[in-house]
Amino acid sequence: MSLEYVLYPGCVASVREIGYELSVRKVFERLGVKLSQSNDFNCCMPACLVHSVDYVRGLALTSRNLAVAEEMGLPMLTLCSSCFGNLSRAKYMLDEDPQLRREVNNVLASAGRKYRGEARVEHVLTILHKDYTVDKLKEQVSNPLGDIVAAPFHGCHIFMPAKYSGFDDPEFPSKLDTLMAATGVQVVDYSEKTSCCIGCGSFFGDVSQTASLKLVDKILASAKEAGADCIVTTCPFCIMQLEIGQIKLRDEGKDYGLPVLHFVDLLGLSMGMDPGELGFELRRVSVKPLLAKVRG
Amino acid sequence: MGPAKRLLDKLLDEEKLGYCQNCGMCTASCPMARVIPDTYNPRLLLQRAHLDLEGLAEGEELWLCSWCYRCTERCPQSIQPTEIFLLTRNFASERGNIPRNPRMIIRNIIRMGRSMPVDEFTNELREDYGLPPVEGVSEKALDEQRKIMGEEFMRRVEE
Repeated sequence: MSLEYVLYPGCVASVREIGYELSVRKVFERLGVKLSQSNDFNCCMPACLVHSVDYVRGLALTSRNLAVAEEMGLPMLTLCSSCFGNLSRAKYMLDEDPQLRREVNNVLASAGRKYRGEARVEHVLTILHKDYTVDKLKEQVSNPLGDIVAAPFHGCHIFMPAKYSGFDDPEFPSKLDTLMAATGVQVVDYSEKTSCCIGCGSFFGDVSQTASLKLVDKILASAKEAGADCIVTTCPFCIMQLEIGQIKLRDEGKDYGLPVLHFVDLLGLSMGMDPGELGFELRRVSVKPLLAKVRG
Repeated sequence: MGPAKRLLDKLLDEEKLGYCQNCGMCTASCPMARVIPDTYNPRLLLQRAHLDLEGLAEGEELWLCSWCYRCTERCPQSIQPTEIFLLTRNFASERGNIPRNPRMIIRNIIRMGRSMPVDEFTNELREDYGLPPVEGVSEKALDEQRKIMGEEFMRRVEE
């Protein structure tokens, strides 16, 4: 099995969540998945920002990245669920609406680009689940994490709306849970499992940042109450909101002490990789209590 | 506004905003409305997009949608509030109403092709962990980006 992708790192992972990017590179190397690079990509041009200024030019800017990947002839590996959702959305809209595709391609022509409809947009989880497959992943697990109780946090853009990404059931997503179970952890159910961290909304200033903190508080409390040792996400933006939120909530006298990991961190641990190699000391909420359970 | 207007008309008419049942599924599903219900209510915003687009474009509520798509996923009439709000923000942007924070992030994108600037510390830290430096977006990519954005887009954000 030879898998190759072009890495689309995105802004959040490469600047704010380099521990996550590190884990992806190390784990994929170990799995024999090849990653190419390009500096011809630019920002995914999130619809909530760039398309809000001009919907069609915004779509063209996002689709430019699809066109770059098409020229390289490789599927894209996105690290961020919002990059994944935004690129999947553009692809869906252009594939479904021929008139819109013509309009977008007219704009792209001014930069010598064309979207041909061949780009494939993938995410760390979609690749592990669909391309690598869960059965093969299980064969890689040398250090099952049976003592850890982990709370899955799905986020939004990796599975909603279902018509854009097509990855999971929009009401009862389960693929993250399946992947987590492959590492041996005890996957715990909790009421905020499919909640939103309001990461994408928190751009807009004080009102939305306060809203995000209120919801993060509910998510952490719910996971804690369910007995979780950690939260496991699909998205670097969720990691940021859930970690930074915990630090802010400490000032309000609420100390959850819940480590937040990306699924790929958990996978690396279960493959017997060293926490240092996976950049665990970069985590804003200490992972030490969790690691004690791994070694024990 | 050309193609965007065509899309908004399509969403507002063909996709049956007139058939909104007022069931409130959008508001009940909205994470923002859950924690700041007195400030944000997508069901009411949808009605205003239909009845008072100009007035809606002047306010800030329109920009509070967190783009999570729960309302779009669940609407029993297949109305797409998330996309309607994005298109409605085009009207606001045309009129110069882009709130400060989003405006600053989009300016980063215009200048660097990235939403978040890369400082020296970032690349030092990356080096410590054996990661390649984040190189700037290539000149070629930035040039293409400017051509696709066009003058009017940049004027809306920079003014």
